[in-house]
Amino acid sequence: MRAERLAPYVLVAPAVLIIVALRLWPLALGVNFSFTGDGDLNGTPVGLGNYLELAADPLFRVSLRNVGLLVLLLPVAVAIPGLLATFIYLRVPGHRVYRSVYFFPAVLSPVIVGAIFNLLLGYDGPLNSLLAAFGAGPVDWLGDPGIAMFTVTGVHIWATFGMALVVFLAGFSTLDATLLDAARVDGASLARTIWHVIIPSLTRTIQFVFVTTMIGMLTSMFGLLFVMTSGGPEGSTYLPEYYIWHQQGQMNRPALASAASTVLFVVMLVVGLLQITLLRRTGRQD
Amino acid sequence: MKQRALWSALIAAALAVAGCGSATRTDTPSGDPQQKQRKLVVWDWKSGEPAAATYIEQAKADFAKRHPEVTVEFVAQPFDQYYTLLGTAIQAGKGPDVMLFNGGGQIRDRAGALLPLDEYVAGDKSRLAGWEAFSKDGKVYAAPVTLQGHPIYYNKALYEKAGLDPAAPPKTWDELVTGCAAIKKATGAACFALGNKEGFGIQFFLSGLGSGILTPREYDDWIAGKRDWDSPNVRRVFELWKQTGDKGLNNDGANSTAMFSDVFTVFETGKAAHIIGLMSDVGHWNDFAEFLPPDKIGVMTAPVVTEGATPSLPYDGGIGYAVAKWTKDPALAADLVRSLTSTGALTAFYQKAGAIASDTTIDVTQAGPAVAAIASEIKTGRPALHVALSSKTLDLMGRLSQQLLSGSTTVDKAVEQLAASDRKG
Repeated sequence: MRAERLAPYVLVAPAVLIIVALRLWPLALGVNFSFTGDGDLNGTPVGLGNYLELAADPLFRVSLRNVGLLVLLLPVAVAIPGLLATFIYLRVPGHRVYRSVYFFPAVLSPVIVGAIFNLLLGYDGPLNSLLAAFGAGPVDWLGDPGIAMFTVTGVHIWATFGMALVVFLAGFSTLDATLLDAARVDGASLARTIWHVIIPSLTRTIQFVFVTTMIGMLTSMFGLLFVMTSGGPEGSTYLPEYYIWHQQGQMNRPALASAASTVLFVVMLVVGLLQITLLRRTGRQD
Repeated sequence: MKQRALWSALIAAALAVAGCGSATRTDTPSGDPQQKQRKLVVWDWKSGEPAAATYIEQAKADFAKRHPEVTVEFVAQPFDQYYTLLGTAIQAGKGPDVMLFNGGGQIRDRAGALLPLDEYVAGDKSRLAGWEAFSKDGKVYAAPVTLQGHPIYYNKALYEKAGLDPAAPPKTWDELVTGCAAIKKATGAACFALGNKEGFGIQFFLSGLGSGILTPREYDDWIAGKRDWDSPNVRRVFELWKQTGDKGLNNDGANSTAMFSDVFTVFETGKAAHIIGLMSDVGHWNDFAEFLPPDKIGVMTAPVVTEGATPSLPYDGGIGYAVAKWTKDPALAADLVRSLTSTGALTAFYQKAGAIASDTTIDVTQAGPAVAAIASEIKTGRPALHVALSSKTLDLMGRLSQQLLSGSTTVDKAVEQLAASDRKG
């Protein structure tokens, strides 16, 4: 009897232990570490000192603002693969070719993508030569603080939308074809078909893509930033991840980096909880 | 579901509240020197390069002669990640016995984890140059391997095309600007090749031209840590920086041109007449030789901007080997450092890698006029200005320099912020 009551705990113990030992315990150490000092103050408690320094650091504020910018750009990052998947589903001429072409960048590493675009977007690079042929002035894609963040985000979307495209195509395969046929018989235009038939039928897929794209943007742009801008120009392309790496590796401020990591963790936790709530609410509707 | 979400939030909150103080060890137990050490581990980012192979072999052989029973293992780390990895080792209080450092801020920020080497390297003090960059508060923490500095290289072929005398480079800033106008007209080449994508360009500019801008007194004070940011000459450095951008003296898109990968190409391919380059590792006379024949590369001293300034070659110890505090047998590790800076090993490094080695007794006269010009200035050379600044101030200066070029800040505001950062230390 007693053994039976213990059984469930024994059975979940390995999983719980792994999570506690490899996830939660290091997390606790990291948070604890963020309340200590750096350099001469190594190991001594400094209370909220690191957090106050973060709040006063314009560079960290820029990095958080850029997170906000990414959230604002999220609809674009979702709309592009959605639209292209729609075209493929509606069998535009050559849709088989496009399907593989669109997916291709997803298999390239961010470092390679960054290096390619560094060449393409250089001040005397091919894109500016092309613009000059049309009489447009050269744009300093990676050297202008007002443009660089958009450039890097654009490249990130280009490099990763293939994955979302595949998810969308999978969603389309569950779409009821009779609805589309009915719309066609009724003479609905392409825009109306998308708005009234395709989007409502794909709500779950669109939400899933929203969540995964968001996570991708917040956690995996480091490689591109490292190769393309190094956080510059003028610190305009810093993201929290890059800031953490910079403080720990370049400035030798591990405790400050821990504090920044904790802030990033809380931001991700809030975003994650919001998304869970959102998903659950729509799940109930179905 | 709801409960789980609540739980994760609760755990995060509990963690945030619970964390107060006490994280890492401040001291590491010093090991027992009696226990014979059989193996030394060295971390660097050089030993993997083919150009450094002979150097490492020579150093190993030199060390093996004195300690045949000890094995030495070189672990070549990728440079991108080097200080991140090292930071982790320092936090843990264990790692390599001997490690390579860049001079200046990188080693001074980490001096707490290193062993003072004064008693071990006393015999090498006069033979090697560049100790200053590896010292903090009067103690030496690493022995210099190469010298790193910022000579101003110029393209003699472009000078000839513009009708200028390649044997007589400009002596003053005004002469330089006039000459550059002639070069631009005749060849279309920019005056300076500048790569400021990472914000490194300003460091080269400050050090390369500083000795022509600051008075000797101001220069010495700057190095000694008494930096007067209100001085008109210090301001002048940043005014000139802004001017080079405003007057179009730099190559286009300087803020998106990468320092090491792109800017040297700009100079080598004749798109710019001058570059404030390096002496060792990359971006120097030996590197340029691939495109520019050695007799077409000149080295000039900083043009005089302020009357009474005495131009000199800015250089410091470039890279050097240090000993970790936690090593078991400090004398043994220090002995390996001595082997790594022996004349035989350094001669091999100079010949194969084209670096200016720290050993002043090496004969460099065969390597061409540019090297000879650099070598002749080592004696009168002084530490570079930017090396004296903390890495935090350098980081800020990089971003401000980009703002100055793009016009989004003023010289006054930039100098004010730098002064504040420098005073904080």
